Amino acid sequence: MDMETDQIYQLDVGNLLAFNPSRRFPSPPSSRSFVKECVTEGTKLVQAIADTLFNLSSTETSDGPLVQLPPPSTKLPRERHTEQNLFGRPVRGFVKSFECITSMLTFFVSLLPRPKPPTKWEEFALKKGIQKRKKDKIVYDETTDQFKRRHGYDRVNDDNDIPIIEAKASDEPGEDPFAKRLDDKKKRVGKQEKNRLQNLKTAAKAGALPSHVQLAVTALPISGTKTRPQKIGKEALGDVAGLAATSTASGGKFDKKLPGEKPPKKQGKHHKYLPVVPRYGMVDEEKEQTNKLGDKHVQRQEGEEEVRKIR
Amino acid sequence: MRPLDENETTVVFEKIFKFVGNNLKNIVENPSHEGPEPEAGRYCFRLQKSRVYYVSESLVKRATNISRKNLVSLGTCIGKYTHAGSFHLTIMSLNLLAANAKHKVWLKPTSEMSFLYGNHVLKGGLGRITDSIVPGDGVVVFSMSDVPLGFGIAAKSTQDCRKLDPNGIVVLHQADIGEYLRDEDEL
Repeated sequence: MDMETDQIYQLDVGNLLAFNPSRRFPSPPSSRSFVKECVTEGTKLVQAIADTLFNLSSTETSDGPLVQLPPPSTKLPRERHTEQNLFGRPVRGFVKSFECITSMLTFFVSLLPRPKPPTKWEEFALKKGIQKRKKDKIVYDETTDQFKRRHGYDRVNDDNDIPIIEAKASDEPGEDPFAKRLDDKKKRVGKQEKNRLQNLKTAAKAGALPSHVQLAVTALPISGTKTRPQKIGKEALGDVAGLAATSTASGGKFDKKLPGEKPPKKQGKHHKYLPVVPRYGMVDEEKEQTNKLGDKHVQRQEGEEEVRKIR
Repeated sequence: MRPLDENETTVVFEKIFKFVGNNLKNIVENPSHEGPEPEAGRYCFRLQKSRVYYVSESLVKRATNISRKNLVSLGTCIGKYTHAGSFHLTIMSLNLLAANAKHKVWLKPTSEMSFLYGNHVLKGGLGRITDSIVPGDGVVVFSMSDVPLGFGIAAKSTQDCRKLDPNGIVVLHQADIGEYLRDEDEL
């Protein structure tokens, strides 16, 4: 290869990109020779990329040599939006992307989402090599010899369906086994809730809380961390309250409003137009409207005439 | 095509009212015998692409078969909405206004051409004028042979007209039938 005439190209093999920073174009952009020059220059750049690719270590596969590209060095804009915090100030100064600088002036501070620490179960599963298995919605019930759903009405292992619990040698005489079952379940649920909160706390410590929890957490001080409870502004709070209010089954229509709570901003269509042709058998609203407005004008005229006569 | 909503209807009626006054009722409740239905339908106002049309109801029903993209015009166009949202009456409403006009002005044959070129009506060109015109009223301009030529806004009351010098403006020009030739593209 001709290394002497090889100008220094900027290569980004991870993106298969080559850039020649010292190129000057002698001919104007609209001439035919310009196209030819571009093609020849482009060929040289592509040759440079190919050289680098072939110099990388390759593994042999059935299709041919396979090369692992190095990570790209050019920063491209993000495909997805960044995680948004509802705080007014940057959190812990973890500013990586350029979007953060522009958006620091706005209310929401965007950060690249941090990887959240694995939960206690995830760590355990990793250690033991437990894989996630997808559960079916319909399960075969041995007792009734039928397929029943796993959760919900008429489910497979419903606690209320057990008619008889056989007594064991370790049971005390005065104990109610059904009540004991309910008690056990409550304890299990409570334990699970505690574990969930603990996982959230570790995530909060690492700064990787899921966004739907962030709002709930802002007001409370989290013990064991330096994060101080932060307030969010009126607008953001209003938006979140609106979201929460309309997320009921009937869109928040029948909820009791607190004293002083403003009605929600009008959602949906902002302008209602009358139908072009009145429906068969229904009231002709357009005709009524025209008549009403016409009458208003006539009355106004008559009123003016009376005023003139009085003068 | 859609009917006008309240604000739009008020605006349109305001403009028409200046010219026809109480005869607005006649315009709104005009019976139309256009369709095959035995009873007389009504005329109504429809908006299509910021132009207001005065159409009979039977025609509207038939026009609903044409998609909005393909519908160019229906009935009589009486005016259009500008980009800023104000409504102007166009020359094509002349027949409607002339039939119901309250304030009329007749022009001498010599000044007809001047008005048809788009100039204002001067006192010297005035033939006859109806009484009780207030400045700011809508006026329909006729030729001496009772052919409607256009319409405009009165600049002076009838009393003041008598005292004016011959070059004073009596009616400010708004539309005339010469526009059919001059502004063919815009109508």
